[in-house]
Amino acid sequence: MELYSPPDLGGALRFIEHEDKHVTVIASGTDLIPRIRKRQVAPSILLDISSFKEDLRYIRQSGGVTRLGALTTVADLQESPVLDGRLSIVREAAELFGAPQIRNVATVGGNICSASSSEDLIPVFMVLGAQLKLLSAKGARTVPLTDFLVGKRETSMSPSEILAEISFEPPAGHSWTAYEKMGRRNMLIIALVNEALSLTMEDDLLTIHSARLALNRVTGKIPAMAVRTSEFLNGRKATDETIAEAQKVLAAELALTGDFRASASYRTELAQAYLKRLIQRCHRKIEGSS
Amino acid sequence: MTMRVISLNVNGTDHSVQVGPLDRLIDVLRDQLGFKSVKEGCSTGDCGICAVMVDGKLVNSCLMLASQCDGRRVLTLEGLVNDLSMKRLQGSFIANNAAQCGFCTPAMLMASWDLARHKADPSEDEIKVAISGILCRCTGYYQIIDSVREGCKRGTT
Amino acid sequence: MQEGDHLSEQISQLLDSLREKAERGELLYIGENIVRVDSLEKVLGNPVYTADLIPKGTIYAKLFHSSIPHGVIKVMEIGGAKTHPGVLGVMTHKDIPGLNESSAVLPDRQLFADSMVRSTADILGAVVAETASAAADAAARIKVEYEPLPAIFDPLEALKPDAIKIHPKGNIARQMKIRKGNVDEGFAKSHLILEKTYRTQFQDATPLEPEMGLAIPEDGGVRVIGSMQSPHHTQAAVAKVLGLPQEKVRVIQAVTGGAFGPKSDETPYDVCSTAALAAVKYRRPVFCGMDREDSMVMHTKRHPFVISHKTGVTSDGMLLADESRIVGDTGAYASLGVFVVVRATFHTVGAYEVPNVKADSYLVYTDNTYAGSLRGFGGPQAIFAIESQMEELARRLGIDPLEFRLRNMLVPGKRNATSAVMDSSCGLPQCVEKVVASSRYREKAARYRNQTGSVRRGLGLALLMHGNSLGPEGNDYGAVHIEILSDGTVSVGSGLTEYGTGAVSGMMQVASSVLGVPLSRFKLERPDTSKHRESGPTVASRVIVIGGNASKLAAEKLREKILPLAAEMLKTERNRVAIADGVAFDRLNLSATLDWDDLVKEAYRRGIGLREEGYFMAPQAPWDQEIGQGTPYLQYTWGALVAEVEVDMDTGYYKVVGVHAAYDVGKAVNPAGVLGQIYGGTVQGLGYAMMEELIHREGSVVNPNLGDYYIPTSMDIPQEFKAFIVEVPGPLGPFGAKIIAEPPIVLPGPALRNAVLNATGVSVDDLPVTSEKVLMGMRPQQAPRTA
Repeated sequence: MELYSPPDLGGALRFIEHEDKHVTVIASGTDLIPRIRKRQVAPSILLDISSFKEDLRYIRQSGGVTRLGALTTVADLQESPVLDGRLSIVREAAELFGAPQIRNVATVGGNICSASSSEDLIPVFMVLGAQLKLLSAKGARTVPLTDFLVGKRETSMSPSEILAEISFEPPAGHSWTAYEKMGRRNMLIIALVNEALSLTMEDDLLTIHSARLALNRVTGKIPAMAVRTSEFLNGRKATDETIAEAQKVLAAELALTGDFRASASYRTELAQAYLKRLIQRCHRKIEGSS
Repeated sequence: MTMRVISLNVNGTDHSVQVGPLDRLIDVLRDQLGFKSVKEGCSTGDCGICAVMVDGKLVNSCLMLASQCDGRRVLTLEGLVNDLSMKRLQGSFIANNAAQCGFCTPAMLMASWDLARHKADPSEDEIKVAISGILCRCTGYYQIIDSVREGCKRGTT
Repeated sequence: MQEGDHLSEQISQLLDSLREKAERGELLYIGENIVRVDSLEKVLGNPVYTADLIPKGTIYAKLFHSSIPHGVIKVMEIGGAKTHPGVLGVMTHKDIPGLNESSAVLPDRQLFADSMVRSTADILGAVVAETASAAADAAARIKVEYEPLPAIFDPLEALKPDAIKIHPKGNIARQMKIRKGNVDEGFAKSHLILEKTYRTQFQDATPLEPEMGLAIPEDGGVRVIGSMQSPHHTQAAVAKVLGLPQEKVRVIQAVTGGAFGPKSDETPYDVCSTAALAAVKYRRPVFCGMDREDSMVMHTKRHPFVISHKTGVTSDGMLLADESRIVGDTGAYASLGVFVVVRATFHTVGAYEVPNVKADSYLVYTDNTYAGSLRGFGGPQAIFAIESQMEELARRLGIDPLEFRLRNMLVPGKRNATSAVMDSSCGLPQCVEKVVASSRYREKAARYRNQTGSVRRGLGLALLMHGNSLGPEGNDYGAVHIEILSDGTVSVGSGLTEYGTGAVSGMMQVASSVLGVPLSRFKLERPDTSKHRESGPTVASRVIVIGGNASKLAAEKLREKILPLAAEMLKTERNRVAIADGVAFDRLNLSATLDWDDLVKEAYRRGIGLREEGYFMAPQAPWDQEIGQGTPYLQYTWGALVAEVEVDMDTGYYKVVGVHAAYDVGKAVNPAGVLGQIYGGTVQGLGYAMMEELIHREGSVVNPNLGDYYIPTSMDIPQEFKAFIVEVPGPLGPFGAKIIAEPPIVLPGPALRNAVLNATGVSVDDLPVTSEKVLMGMRPQQAPRTA
């Protein structure tokens, strides 16, 4: 195995453009290093981008759009004053992520590119409708996060691309976002389920204008949007009856995985309980801030 | 497999070390440079007893390639033997029976020292969060939390 | 004020109080929070653990193990590993010059399996290489072909008469029984009879330092340095494998980063024997260390038990009879499990008087990875079952669980399961009183009775009887030697070891009290088989009781040598001399004083030898093997614990909001140390109760890493923890001390389980109490998952 540490981003892009062998990009490595040591992956070439902080570590806001450099750490999210109000869901997820030493190095880009069901930030960025900027030696392109994720540890990124930026806008109007996560203990966990919701209400503050729900541990898709459940909620009053119905729709829509950590049926129960909690939390916030 | 030479500042001293692509920071610190306070307990980032400071941030040295630390500043417990804040914490750990088997103690002290830099009088919850990435199997954490609370308080000297 | 001034004032106050005590002839130091002898090296991060001591030129041995649970080894392809860069060789059973055996009690386990594997923990050999990573890489290239055999993973299946035999003699490694009174008569008189079955899981001890051994060739033999509890047993095991006389194997215990039982069992033999084999073969220092995954697969775990109770009670809640069937899954090998099941059996009805008791227990082989010694040693499983049963009985009788326990619990004059009569040293009532008051049990239990919200609270209670001393597990002896060096330092050595609890400091504190010299003047010698007498295993929390007594005896012998000299130097009589805080003085003439160092100097000048040994052997604990009756333990530690939980009824998620725990430790030699054991043991017990579960699928461990096997973090501990020390002196330990390192792990499981039951109405009868089991228990049509 070889490790390359080009001096700058341009050098890195040129390197992957011309390298014939498969190149594995390593950011902080919190996910990758133990997997290599356990022989779960055997990259032939590692490309270390962790030193490109000038280029890829930032949290910027302009024109209503929030942009996170791919090397932004989870701790950066926790500490950012920009991720406030309707974006505080990002900070909320960051606070429940890993543990302090992990948050200090783990990157937003790495979390997304690892594309596994234990990646906490993905459902959050999904409900925010995040767009990803991918760079290659030939230029840049932007893809929605939902198209980027193909399957477990599979993305639609080409071998010559590097994820550079995640951008999103807070939901408009009477809206709020919230996040729930549970594992078998309170810190340093792989979530049994984590679930994020972005909710927008009509002016009456009773009718749901639009909902975006995403959760992890979905069979086949890993993290996924619950599109049918979201659509079901749209236009309905945020009542207990609606929520109970939506819980049924959710259970029918997505098959959650069962493993030694939890059964599929328990995960489904959790996902349903969280749906109720997320709707109520968002609704209360919207009522309180309007 | 190509070896490369990196420069690492550990506890204020510059070192040039030869590393392989998969050598981790912990390997260099323990095996090449002899900083044995850095412990290995899981090799997967799940126990935190290898925690050290890199460029002012507490990190797990088992989750970082040595090459990624080229040109960076590393601090281990050995480098803080004369630091007043660390001495206070160490004294407090001794007085409160916070070290049983002692295997997590250096990392606990590093996390506490990092907390003390930011908080003179941390709350119990802040202490719990600060040490939440470091497992201790002996103490149940209570006497460690007491020690950190007491050790973070500035003395009257 | 300067910090330094403050300190010196504190010290002078301490000194004054010590002298006053000495004048009155009271105990010095005992009952005071002392600074442990090993705390400074630990807060400095000194290189004192095995892996810190690897010398230059060391080579590395990496163990490799079976990948199937049961089968015949057909071909072992080691060629690929042998030719891997940096590899010196691959060792298998063929490289063992002595006996291929690595077992603690029954000779049922080989170091390197030669023809057959019975579990995925079976070690096949080791790769020896110049570096640790080369050894690990090469080990991954070893290919083994097996002829698989049918395997058994359920101990109840293994007990069936037609089950395949895992060992030639069958699947029962040990059987035990208790016959007290006549249970049939008891059941005939009962108003209510309840039959229930409880199950517990594999728990991993997870000392933060995994098993490590370092061997250095010397003098036609080896010096072995390792992380372990019992160096003399390791010495015997290594010598057997090497085919060398024991004196050619010198074993030194390095500072040990946690142990909790497995390091008294067979795994330290494995790493030390392997390192020693390679050291002899390659004439180089060899390090054999387990990484976390190795350790979690290959070391011993806590036995899963299946315990069925049939219990009869009168209508007013008096226990009449209990019949239990206790089945422990020891995996493929017996290890120290043969004694674990004995302790579980003796504790089968816990801290209660039951006039008629019948118990039948079996330690059973399966093809799971093997189980063995782990803190509590059968106690946690037995007490989980009986305390759950007590709660269920109380609910069915409509009697408050506390009242029900008060009616039946052991108090002086009552008889436990072995018919031993409880004497005045039984402090259980005091423990119960403490936790009931502290938790406001009666008031809260009433308040929590009719909750309807989506967040509910519950209280759970559990009581403890924990037999002290090895009792039926073997002769209980220990030797401690103390040498006063010419500079006045008191050097203490023993084959009993420290691995975190502070017990050895406590043992030294006893000597410090007898001699009147503060612990700061003491030095602990590293346990070394070439210097220290064999003292049995360091298990069962026995250091403070057995080692404490031995230490007291040695110190008393030294005092007898020193006091006459001091009297002569102070020009007074022997019985007027006291020593406190390193100063000898005439109790009737306080102005006449003599410094400890001067006293020692004079002793050296006169050639008075200041090295003495204390040897203590506990009296025999008589009991009848046939009926399990008698006095298997010479004293008991008592305890009571109330846990309060808050349950989210929508998800089953719960947190322990409060723990109130009281333990009768006879005499707390070092109260801060006792509290440390209570806190630490309780949190480890909460881990066992809430989240810890080493899962086997078809005999393979699914989660042998700390990312999937969870132990509590600082975020998981109860917000409120009230710990109480009760002191009702026992007959065995020094100054009345009873053991405390193990007991606190026992009660959190049943107390938490009962608290969840009282909050939700859900009985979780198999540990751990996961949020999934709690929630699914509320769903009538779906049975809770049992993993």
